[in-house]
Amino acid sequence: MTWIGKIARVGRIVETAEAAPASTITPPTGVSGSLQLRHVDCGSCNGCELEISGAFSSVYDAERFGARVVASPRHADGLITTGVVTRNMRQPLLNTLKSVPEPRVVIAVGDCAINGGAFTSGYGVIGPVTDVIPVDVQVPGCPPTPAQIIAALRTVTGR
Amino acid sequence: MNTAQTAPYDSPSVPAPDQGLRSPRRAQAQAFVSGGLTAAIGAVGLVLGLSAIFAQPRQLVISWLLPLVGVRFEFGPLGGFFVAATGAVSIAVGIYAIGYAQREHWARFPLFILPLFVAAMLLVPAAGSVTSFLLAWELMAAASLALVLSEHHRAAVRSAGAFYAVMTQLGFAAILLALVVLSAAGGGDSFATIAAHAGGISSGTRTAVFLLTVMGFGSKAGLLPLHAWLPRAHPEAPSPVSALMSAAMVNMGIYGIIRIDLQILGPGPHWWGLTLMIFGAVSAVFGVLQASVATDLKRLLAYSTTENMGLVTLALGTASMLSSYGAPQVAAMAMTAALLLILSHASFKTLAFLAAGSVLAATGLRDLDKLGGLARRMPATTTMFGIAALGASGLPLGAGFVGEWLLLQSLIHSPHANNTLLALAMPLSVGAVALTTGLGIAAMVKAFGVGFLARPRSAAAEAAREAPASMLTGMGLAAVACTVFAVAPILVGPALKHVLTALPTVGGQAAGPALGAYLRLPGIAGSMSPGLIALSLLVAVLLVLALARWGARHRPAAVSAPVWACGADSINAKMQYTATSFAEPLQRVFDNILQPETDVEVTHFAESQYLVEKVTFRTQMADPVEQRLYTPVVRAVTTWSQWVRRAHPGSVHLYLAYGAIGLLIVLVVVR
Repeated sequence: MTWIGKIARVGRIVETAEAAPASTITPPTGVSGSLQLRHVDCGSCNGCELEISGAFSSVYDAERFGARVVASPRHADGLITTGVVTRNMRQPLLNTLKSVPEPRVVIAVGDCAINGGAFTSGYGVIGPVTDVIPVDVQVPGCPPTPAQIIAALRTVTGR
Repeated sequence: MNTAQTAPYDSPSVPAPDQGLRSPRRAQAQAFVSGGLTAAIGAVGLVLGLSAIFAQPRQLVISWLLPLVGVRFEFGPLGGFFVAATGAVSIAVGIYAIGYAQREHWARFPLFILPLFVAAMLLVPAAGSVTSFLLAWELMAAASLALVLSEHHRAAVRSAGAFYAVMTQLGFAAILLALVVLSAAGGGDSFATIAAHAGGISSGTRTAVFLLTVMGFGSKAGLLPLHAWLPRAHPEAPSPVSALMSAAMVNMGIYGIIRIDLQILGPGPHWWGLTLMIFGAVSAVFGVLQASVATDLKRLLAYSTTENMGLVTLALGTASMLSSYGAPQVAAMAMTAALLLILSHASFKTLAFLAAGSVLAATGLRDLDKLGGLARRMPATTTMFGIAALGASGLPLGAGFVGEWLLLQSLIHSPHANNTLLALAMPLSVGAVALTTGLGIAAMVKAFGVGFLARPRSAAAEAAREAPASMLTGMGLAAVACTVFAVAPILVGPALKHVLTALPTVGGQAAGPALGAYLRLPGIAGSMSPGLIALSLLVAVLLVLALARWGARHRPAAVSAPVWACGADSINAKMQYTATSFAEPLQRVFDNILQPETDVEVTHFAESQYLVEKVTFRTQMADPVEQRLYTPVVRAVTTWSQWVRRAHPGSVHLYLAYGAIGLLIVLVVVR
């Protein structure tokens, strides 16, 4: 039973949780501690994707606060979007939003999604996500750290 | 053989010769007469067969019909069983053919041959002597060949016809030789005389007869490696003919094996049963593997025939082997399984081929990759094919379930206390049956799901319309038979009991399984009730529906939302599974056996190696047995023929010289 002993000795190796931030909005499901998200990359440089995958990795472990990334918008309570909205991704973004059952929440991660960031004047860019669909939660940063992303998610999950 | 081979090329190559000459009304009348006559002959066969099963064996001799020996018919339970099965299939097919022949504009010739073919098939199991049997057999083979060739203006049909003609005639040659040897050794022409003298036949003769009959009848039943004509002839023949051939004619091969090897010559030595088991198991597994990767609907069904005949042969082998090892009760169980499998296969394969024919008539397509969306457009045909597919997959509520369950029970419960052979053969057979059933489900899910559900993959499938009433009636009859075998095998229980009693050499006199409302197995704690399974499922479905409706009162009104298409605007037919992609994992797993030829070709843009202009994927599923075994034989025969051909260059003088030399040799020899 050495491995059980080892687990007991080492304990959990995740970043320590800060105190829960104050809830800004009510959880879309009406239940705290459960938030299923579908991720949409609207035209990101993939910096925010790295940080999001960091947030859901074993080190930051966003799932302990009740947030999960799921495969289909039909399974989701909301969207987590990154990047500026490009011409090709505008309609898919709207389609995906339409496919998420209501009530739902939209989280915009990164400066690009909030105000266009470094790519505002790109030739294929329509604008930030906030211009295209209503956004409930904003996570500024270029890119935001996993800790910032988790803090924002916790304002929704309420844990 | 030579004439049969050239037959397709003798036929005129004008498409459907008399199609334009007939008025629609006249064509309708002809189709009605032909289909009606087929159904009527079938009905007579069904009645005569049933009466033969239950009555005392009778004989009918017409001595003036054939010189020297006359024609002899025998009405016994075994023959009656096959006559009745063939008759029942013919009724459904005959009614179906009325509509099908009109819709497909059949020429006069196939309309004329169709009832003849059915009559010939009915004569085969009714024949009571070697001569009559061979006569009926050859009549059946010739009629079926003529029907296979009814669309002879297509090259694929002519090639299939040539293949079928050669194989069926080679099979006939083997049977002819076997039966001639048998009647010489048995001291008579009639089967009854031979059976009476069977004890005195030397073991060498018995072995020769056994091997020849297994080869000859096996080729008719589509057993490996003599199955190659099935996946060629069945898809190219008109669908009612495919149904007759696949559901009724292949049974004649099984009948021959039972009649000659199990009834007359049985009980054979242990290795007879083992041989049948090996042939059966290999055919079943190979057939179902090919069916699960086939993309042509009728080719899939043809391979499924090989699979099912393999299972029947496996059951026959099991019965023969267990009987020779002194376990008559379990042998009777295996024999019942074989008979039930024959019946259920006849019913669901009739239905499947008829439904495939409706699809073919409505869309002109057999390729599953181009079908789809038929459930909305042809709801009745879809339901029919669904019933057939359920039967073929061997699941509860399907026609094939009871037979396969009995077969598995007999394999599992075979006593093999101190016998290495049985202890090895039976578990391996269980594995083969299990693999066959599992893959069979995959094949049938593919055929039904890809072919009938979802969205149409081509314009032809989109324009499909439902089959006319006579075709639906024919299919409906077969569907009723499927349901009976699935839910109430009690109805055929008494008939099977009589047939088993006529087969004392395979445990016939022992108490077989009781096919009551409950299926009870003698001496084994297993029992099963297909009727109750169906009933409980029905009750469960109704209960769930009622609960769902009751619960719906409290739910808010439904909201309609667009279909999720991964962000794209709408889903289209190209996003669906195709038959090829559905079978791809299986094809990968069984790569060594199937040996598919796949070819991926990537074309880059001229400007850059990193940008792909197009990707072409090509895959071809050839039959490895055919390629490995038949191609060399055909090549060798062609080489020899070329060599022999030098001897007759067309010079009359040379031929006269040959004649003179031949005469001289004869004179010298008989001097």
